[in-house]
Amino acid sequence: MERRELLKMIAVLTGGVVIGGEVFLSGCVSKTADATTFSPDNIALLNEVGETIIPATDTPGAKACDVGTFMKTIVTDCYTTDQQKVFAAGLAGLNDACKKATGKTFTDASAEQRKTFLIGLEKEAKEFNKQKDDREKDEREKAKKEMDPDYVGGPAHYYTMLKQLTLMGVFTSEVGCKKILRWDDKLPVPGHYDGALPYKKGDKAWAI
Amino acid sequence: MPDNNTFDAIVVGSGISGGWAAKELCEKGLKVLLLERGGPHEHIKDYNTKNIWEFPHRGKTTSEQKKNYPVIHRGWAAQEQVMDAWANEQDAPYTEVKPFTWWRSYRFGGRSILWGRQSYRWSPMDFEANAKDGIAIPWPVDYNEIAPWYDYVERFAGISGSKEGIPNLPDGQFLPPIDLNIVEKDVAARIKEKYKGARHLIIGRTANITEPKPEQGRTNCQYRNRCWEGCPFGAYFSTQSATYPAALKTGNLTVRPYSLVTQVLYDKDKKKATGVELLDTETNKTYTFNSKIVFLCASTLNSAWILMRSANSVWADGLGSSSGELGHNIMDHHYNLGATGSIDGYEDKYYYGRRPTGFYIPRFANVGTDKRDYLRGFGYQGAASRTGWSREVAELNIGKDLKDAIVEPGGWQMGATGFGEILPYHDNKITLDKMKKDKWGLPVLSMDAELKENEYKMRKDIVEEMKAMLEASGAKNINTWDDGHAIGHGIHEMGSARMGGDAKNSVLNKYNQVWDAPNVFVTDGSFMVSSACQNPSLTYMAFTARAVDHAVAELKKQNL
Repeated sequence: MERRELLKMIAVLTGGVVIGGEVFLSGCVSKTADATTFSPDNIALLNEVGETIIPATDTPGAKACDVGTFMKTIVTDCYTTDQQKVFAAGLAGLNDACKKATGKTFTDASAEQRKTFLIGLEKEAKEFNKQKDDREKDEREKAKKEMDPDYVGGPAHYYTMLKQLTLMGVFTSEVGCKKILRWDDKLPVPGHYDGALPYKKGDKAWAI
Repeated sequence: MPDNNTFDAIVVGSGISGGWAAKELCEKGLKVLLLERGGPHEHIKDYNTKNIWEFPHRGKTTSEQKKNYPVIHRGWAAQEQVMDAWANEQDAPYTEVKPFTWWRSYRFGGRSILWGRQSYRWSPMDFEANAKDGIAIPWPVDYNEIAPWYDYVERFAGISGSKEGIPNLPDGQFLPPIDLNIVEKDVAARIKEKYKGARHLIIGRTANITEPKPEQGRTNCQYRNRCWEGCPFGAYFSTQSATYPAALKTGNLTVRPYSLVTQVLYDKDKKKATGVELLDTETNKTYTFNSKIVFLCASTLNSAWILMRSANSVWADGLGSSSGELGHNIMDHHYNLGATGSIDGYEDKYYYGRRPTGFYIPRFANVGTDKRDYLRGFGYQGAASRTGWSREVAELNIGKDLKDAIVEPGGWQMGATGFGEILPYHDNKITLDKMKKDKWGLPVLSMDAELKENEYKMRKDIVEEMKAMLEASGAKNINTWDDGHAIGHGIHEMGSARMGGDAKNSVLNKYNQVWDAPNVFVTDGSFMVSSACQNPSLTYMAFTARAVDHAVAELKKQNL
């Protein structure tokens, strides 16, 4: 089980609910939110990135959940200044990076080109994050040993932020809960517990 | 001539213990003033019922909140839905000589709204442990003496659970148990077989009712698992859902919010308390209230803090300090460690509804013939579940394939965290930091407590034993973790004013009365002499009800 899953499980046990644990573990540490400005074009671009990660299929995609606006809210209100800088630089360079990789800016690229570009970026991000984790191992261990509550590592790769925010933005939205995941009108108040509900491949996960 | 400042009893604090004290005192006919330092928090009306997408940050907290609530952000409790519940850390700071996590909720109902609701009796073994091990001082109360009070509080609060016949986790007056899921049931059977009946995996015993309690206006649990946002069904025990309405019904209750008790007033000639002095946090005015008896139920650290500020002209270190034990022997349960693994199969099974509890593995270390290289033991709390959309899906990076995969539940995972006993060490203590004042000019508390060798040895074992049980259950991809533990992080702080059989080495007698002022009772976690490893709130309820019974009997005999 992933650490975040366990944290979530414990929180549930003890009464809480943690949603989008990954984002919890990386976000919200700054003292002052260094206002990152998001233009309507930025938000449209973020929605397109989100749509490439979670596209519309027989159910709506990230754009229908307006993950662009959600990203703006979280990055502005919850990210540290360092995280905001990384996110803003990534966003500003996204079209150029895509052009370098595919010959087209992200805005002009086809759905297939966008996907190819983001898969390349995901590989880059994984390598970046791994190196970061290795680099910070000693200071992380030290902080853990000293129980330093204020320790926070450096920002992750901007793609990691984009992907985490997309998933959280989709699956905690009303559209995501009601149209993409499994929902029925009783779900907010289930009324009983069944610990052996029959399940067949293709059935969706409960929304909340 | 009626005097509005005089009551039969004053109860300080409206959480689990204070709510019980108020209910019991009112039902026995006393006129009660219930003081709460925070503001009102009304049942149902003030609870959150918004959907997750209606929160702008979908449960996340902001940088501003992080700045203002640094302690709450050390754990999982920092969530958008409940940030209003936590005490303002800027107004009410404390000093950490060693890292100490103090989770406080200063509003009506206190942490009874936010508690984990796990409710376990202590066993004869737990009450005998200190005497047997020669640790600290013996408990002045044995299991047989407290058992009827467990019966009494369980019937009223409503504890769901299964009767198991485990000697070191006595059965109680249970409502029907909540179900283990299919994976947990099978793992329970495997553990039973592997350990030949010496270990048990049972459903958590929780103060969520599984049958309605119409006489209290409470509906049975609806499996929303949004307990700590407040339950509009009154399905779990809280001051709001249970003790407060019962106390109110008697016509004997007066509640005063925004009432920060600055000291217990002490008459050194009569050797008794005469009432309390309080600061109204809205007006900054000071008031005096008089009563025959005072119940301190302000939470373990806050009750000791009030005592430290009281009767200083007689005892420099405060009321109850004559033994030298006030503020010492601070305990908690250490956790933040455990193991997880994946369970193959059961792909054709899922679940419906969100349980407000998980499984519990009662203590087995140092039980019966089991012997370890440390004292006491630990229990585990955990669950089996299918993973959700936040899981990593290898090789499916993005797009339709990713979406199709993560909108379905993932494989089954099982994990648990240990809750270990912390021994009472005299030098694990809280004191007044006279150099630092809070918003109201009170010298703040200074925390100086840590885990020691016995706990560190136990932590290794907690991780190894969970790993072994997962292996024995056929789990794969087992991961262990130990993230360290600052005292207080278990939210089970105890021991700041321990009870005992001798005024020379304890703060309270066996009925929770302060030796130095017998009409002052302390019935929150302060009185605990050892910590055992079970969640402690049920034990506070039982001792509170018993202390009220004793107090009223003594009043009738004119002994107080």
